[in-house]
Amino acid sequence: MLKLRTLLREWGKNLNLIIKHPYFGFVVFGALLLVVLLLRMGGLVQIGVVNAVVLTMIYSIIALGFSLLLGFGGLASLGTAGLVGLGTFVMGYFSGILNWPLLPTLALAFGIAIVVGLIVGFISLRIEGMYLAIITLGLAEILRAFFISYDKFTGGFSGRSFRNFTIFNQPVSTEAVYVTITVVFVLAMIATINIIKSPTGRALLAMKNSDSAAQSLGISLMKYRLLAFIISTVFAVLGGILYIMYIKFSYAPQWNLAFSLEILAAVIVGGAQSIFGIILGVFLIYGLNLAVLNNIPFFVQNPALIVIFNGALIVLVVMFYPGGLIRLIQTSHFKLKLFLQKLKHRMKVRRYGEDD
Amino acid sequence: MAKMIDALRIRLCLKRIETLQARKTFLENLLALQLNRIDMAKAKQERQCRQQTDISLAHTAIAAGEANGYVTAEHDRRLEQLKQRYLLRYRALRETYKRKLAKVLSERQAEIKEQRERAFQALERRKSTALAALEARFAPDADHLELRKTAYAELKAKAETDLALRLQGITARSDRAREKVSARMIKKIEGIERSLLAREQATAALKDKLPKSDYGIPEDVLLRIENLTMRFGGLVAVDDLSFDVKQGEIFGLIGPNGAGKTTVFNCITKFYRPAAGRMYFRKNPVEVIRLNDYPVHNIIRQGIVRTFQNVELVWELPVIDNLLVAAHTLFRTGFFGQLIHTRKLKQEEAVLRKKATDILAMLGLLPYAHMIPFGLPYGILKKIELARTLMVDPRMIILDEPAAGLNDAETRDLARIIRTIRDQNQTTIFLVEHDMGLVMDVCDTICAISFGKKLALGTPREIQADKAVRDAYLGEE
Amino acid sequence: MGDVNLAVKEIFAIVGGIILVYFLVDLLVFRKQLKRPLYRSRLINVLLVLGIGSVIYVTLKTFTWQLIVQIFLLNTVDLCILMLATTGVVLIFKTSVTTNFAQGMMATFGAFFAATVVIRLSGVAGMSLSTRLFLGLLAGVLISFLLGLFIDVAIIRRGRYVTSVGKQMITMGLVMVLMGLIPVLFGTNPITLPAFSYDVELITIGENFLVIPTQNLYAIAITFAVLALLFAALRFTKWGLGVRATASSEIVASMMGVNTRVITAMSWAIAGGLGAIAAFFFASSGTQVQVASMVPVQVNAFMAAVLGSFASFGGSLIGAFLITLFSSVAPFFNDTWQNVIVYAIILLLVLAKPLGLFGKKTAKKV
Repeated sequence: MLKLRTLLREWGKNLNLIIKHPYFGFVVFGALLLVVLLLRMGGLVQIGVVNAVVLTMIYSIIALGFSLLLGFGGLASLGTAGLVGLGTFVMGYFSGILNWPLLPTLALAFGIAIVVGLIVGFISLRIEGMYLAIITLGLAEILRAFFISYDKFTGGFSGRSFRNFTIFNQPVSTEAVYVTITVVFVLAMIATINIIKSPTGRALLAMKNSDSAAQSLGISLMKYRLLAFIISTVFAVLGGILYIMYIKFSYAPQWNLAFSLEILAAVIVGGAQSIFGIILGVFLIYGLNLAVLNNIPFFVQNPALIVIFNGALIVLVVMFYPGGLIRLIQTSHFKLKLFLQKLKHRMKVRRYGEDD
Repeated sequence: MAKMIDALRIRLCLKRIETLQARKTFLENLLALQLNRIDMAKAKQERQCRQQTDISLAHTAIAAGEANGYVTAEHDRRLEQLKQRYLLRYRALRETYKRKLAKVLSERQAEIKEQRERAFQALERRKSTALAALEARFAPDADHLELRKTAYAELKAKAETDLALRLQGITARSDRAREKVSARMIKKIEGIERSLLAREQATAALKDKLPKSDYGIPEDVLLRIENLTMRFGGLVAVDDLSFDVKQGEIFGLIGPNGAGKTTVFNCITKFYRPAAGRMYFRKNPVEVIRLNDYPVHNIIRQGIVRTFQNVELVWELPVIDNLLVAAHTLFRTGFFGQLIHTRKLKQEEAVLRKKATDILAMLGLLPYAHMIPFGLPYGILKKIELARTLMVDPRMIILDEPAAGLNDAETRDLARIIRTIRDQNQTTIFLVEHDMGLVMDVCDTICAISFGKKLALGTPREIQADKAVRDAYLGEE
Repeated sequence: MGDVNLAVKEIFAIVGGIILVYFLVDLLVFRKQLKRPLYRSRLINVLLVLGIGSVIYVTLKTFTWQLIVQIFLLNTVDLCILMLATTGVVLIFKTSVTTNFAQGMMATFGAFFAATVVIRLSGVAGMSLSTRLFLGLLAGVLISFLLGLFIDVAIIRRGRYVTSVGKQMITMGLVMVLMGLIPVLFGTNPITLPAFSYDVELITIGENFLVIPTQNLYAIAITFAVLALLFAALRFTKWGLGVRATASSEIVASMMGVNTRVITAMSWAIAGGLGAIAAFFFASSGTQVQVASMVPVQVNAFMAAVLGSFASFGGSLIGAFLITLFSSVAPFFNDTWQNVIVYAIILLLVLAKPLGLFGKKTAKKV
């Protein structure tokens, strides 16, 4: 009996170690998302929910890269849309039309992403703050105009469909794509937390707080600005590739300012420095109407109200919870805990009287 | 041509020596850390082993009425639990009757009080029964006590030999682990030492051939400023300023507001590009560098680190992580290593965290180690910034108004810390300050400037006696 | 007219040559100089003047100046729209230190309201078309003015600890709210407004004559009147002084007794009104105005503001002028890539002068 108890205690300690591991939450989250797929295959969930989950995952990857830039590097960029579009079209053209194998296409896409990241990074060395945001917006507009005009590559106004996705001449099913996206999503979260909790993440934060202090501590502005932009462009292009793999269609005018702003809004609304906060923000902006609101008859009858609802949500969250919704959840969790403690104490006093 | 090649070789050698030395210190620290970890694991295992033995003997020990560490502890624990339980019951009863008494009319009060007495007595009885039961559970068996005692003694002896064996095993295992780790590390360290020696000999051989490249700077001078001039538009902030900072001294730069003190700092740390003038710094005993040639983020690698007038910390990170930010140049893991958190990164992080903890402990900041700096008192923030400079073992620390905003006690504490830092690490300290008390108290040499020009240079006593300085401060003509 | 392809090649050669010269001189000559940044900025200025001069020369050689002036005259409405929008953006930036993404939506809101008023008034007998249009314009300006006021007083100001990026986010949320609200209030159909006049004026210069639509003259007159009034107000009234004080530092201004709340609210309201005028002319220039139609205009306005440095009204107006000039001439060089060309030129200019064409660098305090 005594032995069993000590054994259990030991086991509990090990379990605690596993739970406290930084990756644990992400892996469990990924597993839960796979359960959604199983439920769908069992016919228990509507397709809208699955689409909402997938879009949330894809856009979360983009938003994670973006948050490294904004929440940690303090660099505002509005060029996300162009880069995501670039990812979709590189995949759609080289893999879909020219039938390149997967790996060279990926290598090409990431190569382009790194080059674009380098260019924007160099620009960011000369231009800062609000100006940088607007200049990156200009870059995104250049990319968009390029997508619309260069219809051999992008399909122009008719869009680029992507149907025959094969690996080793085997067609890939939607379920496999879903699993791939989930795995990439979990890996992206792990990579992000690793970057955040490493000298690089701390250097980015130092840079955000004060350029001069960071430099005096040996942090090269050039290196880390370029790095931040490269990471964020790679994540954006990765998001684009996953997008066209699942949605199988990309339309040039879609990658506009509104998309960049929505990603920015997701990061701000959820909480720019917390990974789950970002995912929450992305879900609120993209997933909520697909998964929930589209099933409520009131909103189905008045589709304009969905847009108003989203907008009002952003306004309210920014007005009253500048740290993002995740901060609200964290503080309310803390408050609940405090409240329960107080309640317990009061019950005790009622039952046993004040401590002697 | 040959000379140039030699110069290149010697520079490469010096760089390599630096890297090797950094690696050596890292390995030594890592070794200490790992040995400490092994020792702690050993202590824990031993404790667990002892406890397990006690637990396995518990039943027999109770039956034989012998003292056993675990049994005694368990007995005390249960006794305490029981007493606590009955205390709570007693209090609950008391409260119930208090409420009852408050409710009922006065004629029934006596009756209720009597009821209460009875209830208390019943509770007392139940308590004594429970205590007796507990004692009985831990009491020895009455029959064949002698037999049980001998049996227990046998068992105990057996268990103890067993325990001794296991402890021996643990010690042996831990020793083996220690040996293995130390052997591996020492082998590495020895390798590094060998190549260090080789490089040093190579440099020594080369050095004799080369003409001295120390720009004619005496051995004991750490920093030399020559004809430094800095202009902002038409305003001349620093005008043809020259001075030397000697190795291991506390050097103070004073002057009225707007005299260009901070500008001098910013020129040395390369935030400003001076309009004219040269700055030399003795990077190590044999090498003097021209600071003009280095970009601002490389100054820290040469051994100069500074603090800021208004505290510039990373507000989102805990204090200890702020220190790790300062150790940025000490990390040698590349970006991809950081992406997947390699073992090497974890080791480096552990070693540097230990170092940060030591520094925080030295400055008395340990209680704040895991706090977010936002909202901490100003004196603490200033100290954190000072702690941050110590992370890289600099040759020179530049303090920009360290006492600004501190009260008297904090300033005295700061003076003590500045002296300690200088004495412990032979670090040169160069400070700008308004607080004359602090400057006169700690500084070995003081340079007074006004409108970018040097007024006087000397010991605190000389400066105090200087007429030009007094005029500049009091504004007399 | 000369050969357009040749001109394109020449311009590319000029731009490429200038960039090459910059890098070569900066890397090889200035490298060891102590005053490198100073020399560099001088070099950039000289190269910019040279580059713009030679591009203008090539363009004139290709098209003749009459053609360019004619093209520009036909596009004066665009210039007016962009100037109004840019002024609105800069006004809000100066007082609230944020870029207002809702500027376009506020304008569209006004234009939709104006169109509704014009359609309602068409039932009233004995009212000429221009009177109706004027009334519609006034109504649109008024409603956008109120909308701007409402946004600042009821939303932006109420937030707790809102940073500059936070304000940006709020305006972004407002874009979505307005985007949903406009179809609900005004119906889902796109609107067009009739022009004040469809006539064309002839200007004779020597033997040549230039054509300008009368509508453009109306637009120019109204725009310049409004901007002149605004600048006079900025220069001579207490409000204008307040705006300038708030722009330099909001806290100091409020400590000096400037009521920054009124100043900010008025700036938002006026920016809304300016936007409404812009959207009104946009709608009456023959384009169908949909909910998101003003977004490209708004992007151009941001670009113009960056080009002329955010902090000055005059600079951003010149930025607006340059952008209109580029985008009206660009289609003649290349039809497909006109937007890319315009944005690329702006990008190069901003890279050369990061603080805008007229921005001044302030020394960083450490």
